[in-house]
Amino acid sequence: MTEQQIRERIREFTRLPAPAVLRIHTDTTQFMDIRAGDCILVEDRIFYVRGEEFEGRFGLDGEPKFWVKRVVDLADGSRKIVKLAFFESFHMRLGEERIRCFRSPHKESRILEKTAGDVRFMQGRTFYDTAGNPVRVLERISGKPFYDIVLHLDMDHETYYYEVFPAIFSNLMKAFYAVRDLHREGEIHGDIRNDHLLVESGTGRYRWIDFDYTFDWPGQPYGVDLFGLGNILLFAAGMGFHTLHDLQRPDSPHRHVVPDLRDEDFSLFFPHRLMNLKKIFPHIRESLNKVLMHFATGAEVFYESAQEMVEDLEICFRSFLWEVPHGA
Amino acid sequence: MEHKVLVGIDCSPNAERAVDYVGTLLRVHDQVRITLHHVLTAPSADILPDGHKRRRALEERRERALRQLEAMAQRLVERGIPRDRIRLQVQECEKGEGIARLLLEEQRRGGYQTVVVGRRGMSKREEFLFGSVSSKIVREARNCTVWVVQ
Repeated sequence: MTEQQIRERIREFTRLPAPAVLRIHTDTTQFMDIRAGDCILVEDRIFYVRGEEFEGRFGLDGEPKFWVKRVVDLADGSRKIVKLAFFESFHMRLGEERIRCFRSPHKESRILEKTAGDVRFMQGRTFYDTAGNPVRVLERISGKPFYDIVLHLDMDHETYYYEVFPAIFSNLMKAFYAVRDLHREGEIHGDIRNDHLLVESGTGRYRWIDFDYTFDWPGQPYGVDLFGLGNILLFAAGMGFHTLHDLQRPDSPHRHVVPDLRDEDFSLFFPHRLMNLKKIFPHIRESLNKVLMHFATGAEVFYESAQEMVEDLEICFRSFLWEVPHGA
Repeated sequence: MEHKVLVGIDCSPNAERAVDYVGTLLRVHDQVRITLHHVLTAPSADILPDGHKRRRALEERRERALRQLEAMAQRLVERGIPRDRIRLQVQECEKGEGIARLLLEEQRRGGYQTVVVGRRGMSKREEFLFGSVSSKIVREARNCTVWVVQ
């Protein structure tokens, strides 16, 4: 494509004129230097940069992610996300535990390839720039983080549990099976959070995003993913998290339960977060509560893969299907 | 009758304790054969994408493991185990293989009657995230005795 053709495409797809000086990057190593109004040319595909994505966690605007660009695909005008190669190592907090984490573009590229066509995961393709950097071009998912779906419900827990949770649980099972399938491939998601599971507008599908975190533990590679799944399940089953602080508040309907709570009822990683939901919500099925208790301080045996966890959840899920009162 | 003992060795003080215990206990046993086995974890290509650097890191780990195994063999000799009854092994752990699983495979392959591992004293949270080799071996070992040295 000539520069004149690129300019025409930019005008056609953005309804704005191209910048006077059009910079076209074929080497994306210095991603900080790639700005809105520039183009990225990889393997004969041209993407017009509109800006950076932001680290939006739980509804808060965060720092710009300079290696993640919002782009327009000049082949067809579609909006996409481009993730450029960024290697970093940092410590991630899992409750009270700190672990060393690595960002690996190659890992994300590999998972994109393995999950191509699987709608339970974000979709995209990797192109390589002239310096050999993997450039991941991702389809945008229009939707909300799972976090927002549950948090903004205005109803009591019992109504939620019987009327809303079964559908959420059904979708979550599909999402958990997706992680199970990743583990079967010897892969991990690496950063399972309430806001890395998107609920797609229109289809209502639950879709995992962001696979570029990894760790260096050959012993038990799936531990961090299981930690994330446990958090999501707790959040969904409890219609949010319930901390000791919340339960102790004068207006808390569960205040009378506080004297009966023990250390072993709380999360292994977040000592003030209640895991034993049955103590505040007696209508929760025992089979569901038992799964949650594998993530509690009192647990003696932990899950080692998502397969083990979904096997236990299947028992509970069947009880919802059959409407067995109080669970199997 | 010959008695074959497999000792899992890593680069931690608990491995030394396990070796000391084995040496002290088995020095009177003149038919014992002890294998010190180190499972070497290769650096992940996701973390170290450069193949050359990865091979060099693996080689450095292998040399360190061999030095450590030699030092452990010396500890056994000092406790009265003849050197010719001690064998040193380094095995590479591929992606997706657990250290515990490899040790148990070696136990089956070599027909070891006893497996010895040290216990790292992990917190529950660490055990959740990283997995405990000793717990897994205790749970999954068959047709052998397991010693976990605290």
